[in-house]
Amino acid sequence: MIRFENVSKYYPTRYGPKYVLRDLNVEIPDDRDIAILGANGAGKSTMLRLLGGIDFPSSGKIKSDRFISWPLALSSGMQGKLTGRENVRFICRIHGLEANRDIEEFVKDFSELGDSFELPVSSYSSGMRSKYSFAVSMGFDFDTYLIDEILSVGDAGFKRKCEAAISNKRSTANIILVSHNVDVLKRQCNAAILLAYGRADFYESVDQAIFRYRNL
Amino acid sequence: MKARSAFSIQKDVIFAIFIREMVTRFSTYTFGNIWLILEPLLMMVLFMVIFGARGRGAYGFVEAPVFIYSAFLSFRLLWNYTMRQNFSAKNGTQSILEYRQVRLFDVFLARSIIEGAIFLVVGIIIALGLVWLGYDPWPHDLLLVLSYCFCLWLFAIAFGILGCMLGSFAREIEKFISLMTMPLMLVSAVIFPMSIVPPQYWPYLTWNPLLHAMELIREAWFERYTSPVADLQYFVAIVLVFLALAMSTYRLTWRRVLAR
Repeated sequence: MIRFENVSKYYPTRYGPKYVLRDLNVEIPDDRDIAILGANGAGKSTMLRLLGGIDFPSSGKIKSDRFISWPLALSSGMQGKLTGRENVRFICRIHGLEANRDIEEFVKDFSELGDSFELPVSSYSSGMRSKYSFAVSMGFDFDTYLIDEILSVGDAGFKRKCEAAISNKRSTANIILVSHNVDVLKRQCNAAILLAYGRADFYESVDQAIFRYRNL
Repeated sequence: MKARSAFSIQKDVIFAIFIREMVTRFSTYTFGNIWLILEPLLMMVLFMVIFGARGRGAYGFVEAPVFIYSAFLSFRLLWNYTMRQNFSAKNGTQSILEYRQVRLFDVFLARSIIEGAIFLVVGIIIALGLVWLGYDPWPHDLLLVLSYCFCLWLFAIAFGILGCMLGSFAREIEKFISLMTMPLMLVSAVIFPMSIVPPQYWPYLTWNPLLHAMELIREAWFERYTSPVADLQYFVAIVLVFLALAMSTYRLTWRRVLAR
């Protein structure tokens, strides 16, 4: 269970505080896969960062008893100078996993990088990078995965593989997915949160949320 | 995933950053990680040659190169490097702050440990080199020197953290600290002992805690040197004040610093 209690988030600007989220009260059940919908700047990514514990509410609380992944966005959390393998090792170490050979090999296989896995991440193309970041997060067992738009890149074959991996994870974990690709949301999620007009509404049905989102 | 205690998370994170720093810092250089030791080593040798070989630093109680060695090792390697690394802890670490268990404080700690280790390793290597050349570089009271160096290390960490946190709100602090480095070396009794400074100037210089650190280390290092001004109590008090300031500033501002 992840619960937002009166969560507000604003960023100070020279015109005064700019609110992204205001007095949010949402409960995310453990057995639901959530799609987060909203226009650009509505606070989707901010919500993921709050969930990922790398940004903090200006007021209110977020309560959770689950292992939540880092917010998985396109360019996040990878050190360009390090090789693919070294980055995986770093992430294993901060998660307290010592025997990490299996995870390294899993990521290498899944990301289809081959020898590039041993090259610095900064030399990857954006497609390779998205494959790589996605593979890394699939190598770890979290209770909740935060995925930010990452499914929309990569070639068709890899997209299918990603969705298969996510479907697989959904049997033991749940996902919170930010995407503008409505089809993916429909396939992968069974509940939705729509961010609009500074409010967040929880929808039991994704279709209904998408309908609202299209008519904003 | 298994739940870990806060302490074991921090231990894992610091170790991970430690390895990461070692790998990334010189990864693009031809000789790679050797530069970790080679860079301070070359700097020290250079200083010892340009000052020491000319006899600068021969103040009657020790040979010039050993004097320069003791002064620059603690001032440049320990104080300057540790302070700078902590001060610039936000550079190049944005990507690892994307993980919730990695906090800026872990970066501070990991970098401080690395700088402390480099100080010890380079110190020992140069000392062995000096022994080979026929000098006697070993401190008269090794434990005392190491404990003073520890205090200086803590001071550098506290100063660096404070600069890093405040520098996130006012970029000018960065400029100020860069400007300060050279003059600070001149007023901290690094290349001369306080015993050659006329007593009427002492009050203008002794407010500087670094001067006390240098004089204390010198006093413990060389049997025949007694500092006219060194004040352990003052130095320790300043270190404690800066540590308290740094910790409280960190605690009060880290979330805002992260958002910048």
